[in-house]
Amino acid sequence: MHIDVKKEIKRSNIGRAGLSLLLLVVVIAVLAPLLSSYDPVQQSAGSLLSPSGSHWLGTNHVGQDIWSQLIYGARTSLLVGFSVGIISLLLGILFGVSAALVGGLYDKIVMRIVDALIVIPMVIVVILVAAYIKPDLPVLILLLSVLSWQGGARVIRAQTLSLKESGHVNVSRTFGASRLYVAWRHIIPDLGPILLVEFIYGVRRAVFIEAGLAFLGIGDPMLISWGMMMRDAMSFSYLNVWQWWLVPAGVALSLTIIGLTFVSHAAESVLDPRLRGAEVA
Amino acid sequence: MLEISDLHVSYGQDMVLNGLDLRLSDGESLAVIGESGTGKTTLGLSIMRLTEGKVQGSIRFDEHELLNLSEGEMQAIRWNRVAMVFQNVNNVLNPVHSILEQVAEPMIEHRLRRRGEARTRAGELLEKFGLPRERFSAYPHQLSGGEQQRVLLAMALANDPDLLILDEPLSSLDVTTKEELGDLLRMTDGRHARLVISHDLDTASRLADKLAVLYGGKIVEIGATREILQRPRHPYTRALIRAYPNMTTVKDLQGIKGRMTRPVSGCPFHPRCTQAIDMCSEIIPQLNWSQGRGIACHRGGIATLLSVVNLSKSFGSLKAVDSVNLSIESGETLALVGQSGSGKTTLAKTVIGLYPEFDGIVYLESEEVTSRGKAFYKRVQMIFQNPGESLSHRLSVLESVMEPLEIQSVGNKEQRRGKAIQTIGEVELPQTEDFLDTYPHHLSGGELQRVAIARALVLDPDLLIADEPTSFLDASIGAKILKLLLNLQEHRGLSMLYITHDIAAARKISDRIAVMLDGRIIEEGPSNMIVTAPEQPYTKHLLRSASSLALSGDGALSDSS
Repeated sequence: MHIDVKKEIKRSNIGRAGLSLLLLVVVIAVLAPLLSSYDPVQQSAGSLLSPSGSHWLGTNHVGQDIWSQLIYGARTSLLVGFSVGIISLLLGILFGVSAALVGGLYDKIVMRIVDALIVIPMVIVVILVAAYIKPDLPVLILLLSVLSWQGGARVIRAQTLSLKESGHVNVSRTFGASRLYVAWRHIIPDLGPILLVEFIYGVRRAVFIEAGLAFLGIGDPMLISWGMMMRDAMSFSYLNVWQWWLVPAGVALSLTIIGLTFVSHAAESVLDPRLRGAEVA
Repeated sequence: MLEISDLHVSYGQDMVLNGLDLRLSDGESLAVIGESGTGKTTLGLSIMRLTEGKVQGSIRFDEHELLNLSEGEMQAIRWNRVAMVFQNVNNVLNPVHSILEQVAEPMIEHRLRRRGEARTRAGELLEKFGLPRERFSAYPHQLSGGEQQRVLLAMALANDPDLLILDEPLSSLDVTTKEELGDLLRMTDGRHARLVISHDLDTASRLADKLAVLYGGKIVEIGATREILQRPRHPYTRALIRAYPNMTTVKDLQGIKGRMTRPVSGCPFHPRCTQAIDMCSEIIPQLNWSQGRGIACHRGGIATLLSVVNLSKSFGSLKAVDSVNLSIESGETLALVGQSGSGKTTLAKTVIGLYPEFDGIVYLESEEVTSRGKAFYKRVQMIFQNPGESLSHRLSVLESVMEPLEIQSVGNKEQRRGKAIQTIGEVELPQTEDFLDTYPHHLSGGELQRVAIARALVLDPDLLIADEPTSFLDASIGAKILKLLLNLQEHRGLSMLYITHDIAAARKISDRIAVMLDGRIIEEGPSNMIVTAPEQPYTKHLLRSASSLALSGDGALSDSS
């Protein structure tokens, strides 16, 4: 049972590829101010310019530098993705672990809420709510988090139920440990690999939905994001600007999501040793 | 006939007998037993008025108060009416007289008989004690130790005393001589009262109907010999019996923790007692009589630590444990024996609280256990079958052992660490930094189980539930774990509920065995009784199928007899 998750992910080719992609996006997002001399919001030149030495990807319809928008857009995607990933994971742990440990009526209520959330299509709810309240970035993150913890909670609960009866968890109860202690010291650490996979799922879903919402024009129009870039570019699809406006945004989004998928795929193989042999070979 | 009350004897500052009370009627036989240094010999010498110590209190012999008699009056009683056989054989006999003369001498000296008569009677006595006529003219140095002892016994009986005091009469003899002389002495039963002083339980049980256990100059337990040996009620008596090699007990020998110290305030045994409470170090307990047994103990003798009344536990329609009654005494090992599926582990897990829903009552020291909180787990701990599973793979040895202390918030971090390291040493594991930082997957099975034991012991529990602790280990390592548990019991006075399917191992470690079948306890009793005289067919079956190294199935040993 002693598995080093980091090592396992690094050992597989897919895992390494995913990690490299993710790292690339993160580095670009972090170093954005150094990689571009233009403010992505300010008009920097004439509108709809073709790519040139000063404007690598040209400018959009209001004269903003598209390269700047692309790299600042990575910041939004990652911020939303990782924030939602963490918050929904925490909610999943909170409800999943507590339901399994407390049991009884509490367990039943939590699990029915989870069932309800799984049945309701999340995207539609988000669109409805977002269209109504016009969320800014923090509210959007919160909204996505509240609507995306249920799957994780269910998996975590199931795993906790089996861990609960296992050796060292039982033993710590015979020292008089409280449920909180058992959860914190024994169960959550043992959930490790599952939590990692759930977290990456959460990030990927959030990146995708955020882009979708922005593409649909729901959300903060002042926020620079890949989804909004694609939406704006679509309006000018009759011109050839899509080559340096629409395509780079779409490719950036795809690469980010592919990177996340690869990492989660590698992490899953850690959980299921039957997959592992094939990965290593 | 003999009545000793509140007898104090001291040598300088050293109080050897400390308020001793004892009565002996005509023809009665009483053995006083105890470790060396408890004041046994001093008691005998005090009755003879031969002790050099300062004697206070009262020793009444018939109408005489021996302590008030003049030396001359005492002379008339000594050897005549009260005779004593001394412990050290070599120095007592006079090397220049033949043995016949020596036996005849007290009769002549006390002018009871004339010389000829005395010699005849001396000859009879010597013959009675198994010395052939041709040896009568031998000198002491020509006799073996056993023969010298025969001479001394004959000498003591020469004047037909009313009270015979025997100080270690048989202890140094070989077993056959011991049996022969024991029988000879038994034949004089009723003709005189006998006070046997010995550290040897076998001598005591051969020569006396009553037994008084002496510790720290006081009697701690007194009663009928058979009953005391079968069911000791004072912790010291039990410890003595456990330390005594014999053919009845099947459990391995155990010593008594610590050494005798003097002076001690309160109960003399409390520094070595495993169930001492605060009161024991302050107030001296008095002998309390009930049902023909006297016990000087504030706890009323060996206390019951845990009892289980009518406990049942079902899983759906399956009754895994069915109305079980059990009790475990302080410092005792109870082995729960049965095949897998008989409900042993379920019973243990119910007691420890891993199955919180059950029927019946669990008492911890006569208080009902309603909820199991930190206080309960401080006193009751469990070690599990598979040490690899019961230890977290993410915690190092030190972290694992410290975990209970952290949960119970004992002391500060430094103290917890110190306590954990000390306990790790106690289970005979290395205390080096390297080892303390090792993770479970780098340890062997035996080491893992030791870590698990250290973790269970670090809270200093009173009861340890051990669920097949050796079943995952090979025999030689399993044996070491069993030895370790026995040693821990000796030092800490742990009570143990030892769960096993292996009756051969159970008898080595347990005082009592309970046999479990289909959720019920079908037979329970002292280990030696269960092993040698089982009543239930299932118990017999268990014994028959237990591991045996005899070549021809049912035991080559019994065939040859």
